[in-house]
Amino acid sequence: MKLQLKRLYSQFLFFLSANLGALGIKSGFCYPFFYCNACPAADAACPLRAIEVGVFKGNFNLKLIIYPFLILGIAGVITGRAFCGWACPIGLLQRGTEHSAKKVKKKRWLPSLEESEHEHQLRYIKYLILLIFVVITPILIEFTFTDICPVGILTGTIPTLILNPGKYVPSSYFFPAMFIFTLFIILILTIRRGWCRYFCPIGAIFALFNKISILHVEVDKEKCIHCNVCSKVCPMGINVPEMHRDPECILCGKCISICPQNIISYERR
Amino acid sequence: MKKKFALQIVAFVLVAGMLSGLYTYTDVFDEVENVIVRVTCLSCLKLDPKTELTFQFETATDEDQPGFVWDNITKGPIFLAFRADVCAACETMEPIVKDIFDVDFGITETFKKVVNYNNMNITFYHINIDHAKGEYREAFELYDKDNVKGVPMFTMITLGYNHGVIEPAYATAYGTLEGLTNSDLSIPINIQRKNILENIIENGMVLYNENKIGFNPK
Repeated sequence: MKLQLKRLYSQFLFFLSANLGALGIKSGFCYPFFYCNACPAADAACPLRAIEVGVFKGNFNLKLIIYPFLILGIAGVITGRAFCGWACPIGLLQRGTEHSAKKVKKKRWLPSLEESEHEHQLRYIKYLILLIFVVITPILIEFTFTDICPVGILTGTIPTLILNPGKYVPSSYFFPAMFIFTLFIILILTIRRGWCRYFCPIGAIFALFNKISILHVEVDKEKCIHCNVCSKVCPMGINVPEMHRDPECILCGKCISICPQNIISYERR
Repeated sequence: MKKKFALQIVAFVLVAGMLSGLYTYTDVFDEVENVIVRVTCLSCLKLDPKTELTFQFETATDEDQPGFVWDNITKGPIFLAFRADVCAACETMEPIVKDIFDVDFGITETFKKVVNYNNMNITFYHINIDHAKGEYREAFELYDKDNVKGVPMFTMITLGYNHGVIEPAYATAYGTLEGLTNSDLSIPINIQRKNILENIIENGMVLYNENKIGFNPK
């Protein structure tokens, strides 16, 4: 079976597994990817919510802080950021919007952020979001990322409204979150994996593990003919021929599938 | 290469060991399940349920009223304010509740006080479902009449006439009461919220006065 088809099946399977709450299955696990526990079918907790609850108002609950890091850590140590590429439902959504983002990139009148020289600096935003809105503001001003989370709107609010027509009305938290959700939709429609690249706080945690993960993508640089086809297909905008354990690599395998020399592969150790 | 491999093994053993230890020696699994997965903070959902503020007899789980309700219902109506630790909507509503009943309490505590409200004793309970145990925690499911499983939640318990018998009756409101507030923009939203809660309380008091004579507690 082709690698990208396998990945699609994997993404669908993880999406289904994230929604087992519809069968009444609720657990005390944290998702090892981005998904909202406010989803009517959720069966686990959002890792960010667990961290926020753990630090809120400075009442530190150490086990709730460590727990999501360990769940993401065990996935991260083994597979690096592969859960972003192979499991995350928001990754699956962005796979669907990639076509639109590619079309936008071709419009010459539109300045492409992906090709901007400052693009790499923007990738640090996700670390700042993790630090500021998931850790610092819940401690200092009781403001949590999940109150404005666009993924919460997508997987929690909208399904709740659809499944319970007329039963709910927007609260005062709805409109600021909806504004951010609109920006999120524009982002993923215009930049390939825009959310994963610049804003995803869970991707920021996973990214740290790419440096030590057992599974990773390796390029045989000596045999590389620098055709750059791999970099063009990379949804994370990585310069693949120069890549070595890049924190942005989501191990999607697109570069592996397309390399004409077959010199890119998954490596263990 | 060997150094890297050693680092990977150490990292794996460390993470796997700590995770196993956390599952074995702490209640983190149950805590995450009960505090985060099974209860929705309505501000995270960004929605408020629309609900009818009518008093009813059957609890959401069809179980009997909890013991603390039977113990206190002879003294007057009972008001329950449910919240969770991390919940912006609870933070919005808490000062309003404190103002109405002229009470003060810590976020985490299960607080009880008999307050005099318009010349009637009302037993006020503040229940943080992340910390409350036993019948106080179970009361959250018992009075969740619309099966919202969300906080904040407010329940007024009074007495009502049910097919020839006087029994405890309750009404429940959820969230920041947006599903109930009128859209008169000239009235500040917090005043509207306060008016709604006071309205529930006063309706409960009227019912209590009408029915207390015929009430035979268990």
